[in-house]
Amino acid sequence: MGRWLAGRVLQALLTLAIATAAIFWLMRAAPGDPLARLAGERQVSAEEVAALRARYGLDRPVSAQFAAFLEGAVRGDLGVSISHHRPVGDLIAERLPASLLLGGTVLLVNFTVGLLLGMRQALRRGRAADTALGMLSLAGYAMPSFWVGLLLAWLVGVEWRLLPAAGMRDPLLPLDAGALERARDVAAHLVLPALTLVIVSIAAPMRHQRAALLEALAQPFVRTARAKGLAARTVVWRHAWRPALFPILTLFGLWLPLFVTGSVFVESVFAWPGIGALAAEAVSARDYPLLMGTALLAAVGVVTGTLVADVAYALLDPRVGET
Amino acid sequence: MPRSAVVCACAVLAAAGALAEPASAQQSRAGTAAQSAASPIAGTIVVAMPQFPALPIPTLMEGAAAHTANFDLADQLFLRLATPGPSLATAGDRGFEPGLAQRWTRRDSLTLVFDLDPRARWHDGVPVTAKDVVFAFARARDPQISPRLARPLRWVRDVSAEGERRVIVRFTRAYAEQLFDATFHVHPLPAHLLASLAPGDVAGSPFAAAPVGNGPYRWVRAVPGQTVELAANPAFHLGRPGIGRVIFRIATSPDARLNMLLSGEADALDNVIPPLANLGRIAARPELRLVPTPSPSVGYFLFNQRDRADRTRPHPILGDVNVRRALVLALDRQSMARAAYGPYAEVPAGPMSQLLWIRHLAGRAPAANPAEARRLLAASGWRDADGDGTLEKDGRPLALGVQLPSTSLLRRQMAVQAQEQLRRIGVRLDVVTLDGPVWIQRRNAGDFDIDFSSASQDPTPSGLLQSWSCAGIGGSNVAGYCSPRTDSLINAAIVSRADPSPLWREAIRQIAADAPAAFLYAPTAVYAVHRRFEGVRIRPESGWRDLWRWSVR
Amino acid sequence: MRCSTRAWARRETAGGAAVRRRLGGVWRRPGGRIGLVLLSAVAAAVLLGPLVLPDPLAQPDILGGANLPPSAAHPFGTDPLSRDVLARVVAGGRVSLLVAGLAVLLASTLGTLVGLVAGYAGGRVDAVLMRLVDGVLALPRIFVVLLLLAAWERVPLAALVLVIGATGWLAPSRLVRAEVLRLRSADFVRAAEALGCGPGRVIFRHLLPNVLGPLVVATTLAVGDVILLEAGLSFLGLGIQPPTPSWGGMILEAKDVMVTAPWSSLFPGLAVMLTVVAANLLGDALQHDDAQA
Repeated sequence: MGRWLAGRVLQALLTLAIATAAIFWLMRAAPGDPLARLAGERQVSAEEVAALRARYGLDRPVSAQFAAFLEGAVRGDLGVSISHHRPVGDLIAERLPASLLLGGTVLLVNFTVGLLLGMRQALRRGRAADTALGMLSLAGYAMPSFWVGLLLAWLVGVEWRLLPAAGMRDPLLPLDAGALERARDVAAHLVLPALTLVIVSIAAPMRHQRAALLEALAQPFVRTARAKGLAARTVVWRHAWRPALFPILTLFGLWLPLFVTGSVFVESVFAWPGIGALAAEAVSARDYPLLMGTALLAAVGVVTGTLVADVAYALLDPRVGET
Repeated sequence: MPRSAVVCACAVLAAAGALAEPASAQQSRAGTAAQSAASPIAGTIVVAMPQFPALPIPTLMEGAAAHTANFDLADQLFLRLATPGPSLATAGDRGFEPGLAQRWTRRDSLTLVFDLDPRARWHDGVPVTAKDVVFAFARARDPQISPRLARPLRWVRDVSAEGERRVIVRFTRAYAEQLFDATFHVHPLPAHLLASLAPGDVAGSPFAAAPVGNGPYRWVRAVPGQTVELAANPAFHLGRPGIGRVIFRIATSPDARLNMLLSGEADALDNVIPPLANLGRIAARPELRLVPTPSPSVGYFLFNQRDRADRTRPHPILGDVNVRRALVLALDRQSMARAAYGPYAEVPAGPMSQLLWIRHLAGRAPAANPAEARRLLAASGWRDADGDGTLEKDGRPLALGVQLPSTSLLRRQMAVQAQEQLRRIGVRLDVVTLDGPVWIQRRNAGDFDIDFSSASQDPTPSGLLQSWSCAGIGGSNVAGYCSPRTDSLINAAIVSRADPSPLWREAIRQIAADAPAAFLYAPTAVYAVHRRFEGVRIRPESGWRDLWRWSVR
Repeated sequence: MRCSTRAWARRETAGGAAVRRRLGGVWRRPGGRIGLVLLSAVAAAVLLGPLVLPDPLAQPDILGGANLPPSAAHPFGTDPLSRDVLARVVAGGRVSLLVAGLAVLLASTLGTLVGLVAGYAGGRVDAVLMRLVDGVLALPRIFVVLLLLAAWERVPLAALVLVIGATGWLAPSRLVRAEVLRLRSADFVRAAEALGCGPGRVIFRHLLPNVLGPLVVATTLAVGDVILLEAGLSFLGLGIQPPTPSWGGMILEAKDVMVTAPWSSLFPGLAVMLTVVAANLLGDALQHDDAQA
């Protein structure tokens, strides 16, 4: 197991390295560059463009730019953002807590409430609860996230004024407010964006859990156990949850990077200062340093997610570790 | 088991939320100890802003930093020597209002003299002197440091100080907009704080993190990406600001900004429309007031006059002036503007936003005339030979693509309207929505048939030179429009010392006759402000600049 | 001894028969029946509707006829450009369903293949394939899309399907692989191998029917993902170009009047919902029967 783990981590790092290079070249190869944005609103001259090109190092060959990036990245310096004029590392560090908070909350709710509901669906298959839960969650899944967000912001934030419609904090909160008050403020701002994301995604863990449990419950040993008089729920808790966890863990591994790097639409509708919105702005501005920083973060998230899932499979079912 | 896990996790998250205050916000709380004492004026206004003003330092707002958020914030912190008056007349020496300069006189046709207001002070208490003006002009006129400002200042010969409070500005030639050029483009900077820093070091310096200005509001703190807080400067020499605190709340999505306004989390918002539907939603709130003001935007279909594949040859379809005129006549521009902006837009007679004082000199834009359009196309040899609804000539169908940035829902809808209108006269218009940088790249390379452009103009009509003159080809004039007569008229109007109106009138008429574009809309910007603020005045060329004159109940 | 499916009578094996049994179960279950009926209704509306409905592209009267609420003349109301929403929903369905159907098919097929091979083969093959999946997942999808579509000014439908399918196979591959990992050391697989069944037989006859659970869930959910992905691509100008209607594009274009004229986004949204629910009901009906009837 230990050797397998070491090998697996090595693979992850290698993948990260190759992905980084691929992302760098992909970005340069895509049409458009950071200077294109200039000419959008204000009228610019050729000298302006040339001067800026030199300033951002864009007049050097791509390989030289990549070498410079690598050299900096190894030292922990991800460069300076072209649109924000500040170090990329600072920008990401500022926004990461907000993304983690939102993403973490959504993952938590999805993988607790979602799994419980899916289990309930499986145990009551074919009955009203199963159908109702299924259709409600699917209806939510089928709605675009910006739509749900706008709807919630309008209803709850604007019409009923129960919760804030946008932002992460109240700017009018006095500076000497205590930690509890500040936490409450953030929590109030967190509800709507988190709820939006849960509504549009909870169907997935629910359905995977339901399907996996149904498969598990169809096993002959379950029939035996129930013939012996055990309630279905007991059978589930004792035997069926292990195999059912495989698809759930896979989903978790796939979703980990998504929720950490943020949902662009939800962050934008609720003005939640997370990485997703930052990355989207970087894309539309072709802000190469910032793009590399956020893409690197996402790549780390992906590689970590699959690693966590693979380790979990092995822990869950020792037979998996054998090749 | 799961229930206790959920409770534990929630507690952890709540703690995380409390701790999630970025460290940098705590560091940039400059002057917080004195914050309450320093702002004895009551009242707070929360203004929703589309972008975080990361670099609101005059002469440094280049390239990606040249956006309205930076300009707006710079206008609160820094003052100009003088500003154009309400009529926005930029030619001549009349009608300007004092800023840092108390008065100005003209020594001769090439020299202006400014006397600074002795009461003007930087936020750290140091008086504003002529040295600061000279310093700022030196940075602004250097194309290496500030290419965007160096261009309009190209006729300034030198700027010198005469004593502590007198600035002499000398020009290389005599022209009508000398006073405008000397005052609009440059905000004086504190030489005592910046002279020791190399120009390239200012952006990362402590000054950039907490700028020291001389305007009605001074910097308090910023939470990067979220808010900027300013406090009133009670010693502001032009008057005491009426509102004690200004907080800019940043939200990139227009929906989020509107929701903040409607829910009371923001007090003021600019550019409420488009979409027009927002007007009704705001009007339904009795506590909000709409404040229309001329907008510096103008939108138009720009016709590419050069061949996309070979820039030395004329465009096979749009190179013909009759085709261009036909396209302009076929578009029902009035209904397009009304559908998008309701009563809040004009159809311009040329490339003129509502900010330009010359826009009505040649009369209004003509109404649509599809019959005349058809006649022009037929006279140019376009016929529908195969009956498919699209005209052809020499085997080439009259098919054009109009490209636009995908982020603009407004332009997208207008393009679809135009598509339908042109279909009725036999022109096939394809709508091509492109990712922003791709759109701009194609635009700059001249790789388009029609470009749906939207320009944001300075108050001076001399800006027309960049996009509508032969000299602009290779730069902003991406469509290759070149008319020597237009060039000579515009150049003459710019340098004329007498009233340039007749020259501008002829220039506009020439442009209309050449039909290099179909000018679609010159909107009115509609701001929304909470009714508890009184004396609300919005400057067309710089929205929130007169914020300090407002008062709050 | 020969590798033969007849030797295995247990539920976990017997590829072809097990799949047939499941398919038969679909009609028997009320959920499956509803799903099939709904999908057929949507398909019929989308195919036949344009024959009787007004032109979805016509803008009769923008100033007076825009954003009208549902009425006899316009059962679903009109959109901001005065176009009939019902006609557009039906016309948009063609594009949305076609793209969704094809892309999901492509993605699921490719993903299943990769997942099966990687999970069963293990070792280096598995490592290479899964790290490839990681690598492609790590690439920001927007750049892959931008690059692939940079060549075209007007996106051909095939390109859109290809692009969405090309980025959608990753999740199914990991889900399928996880199931294969779990089952690889199960008795029935060991027995099949002992009987001399080649890898192909084991994979397709024995493993595939048993990984259908998560695969079906992923596929049916992917239908919704793809339709909404098209809306997201439209946001960036890379989806279906105007004036061709698509459900995602309609919801996006009606975003600004969501509160004042909700029908323009409500009806395409309901259409998406209906399709997703129907697909998933069908998928649910494909799940194993509970041993307890």
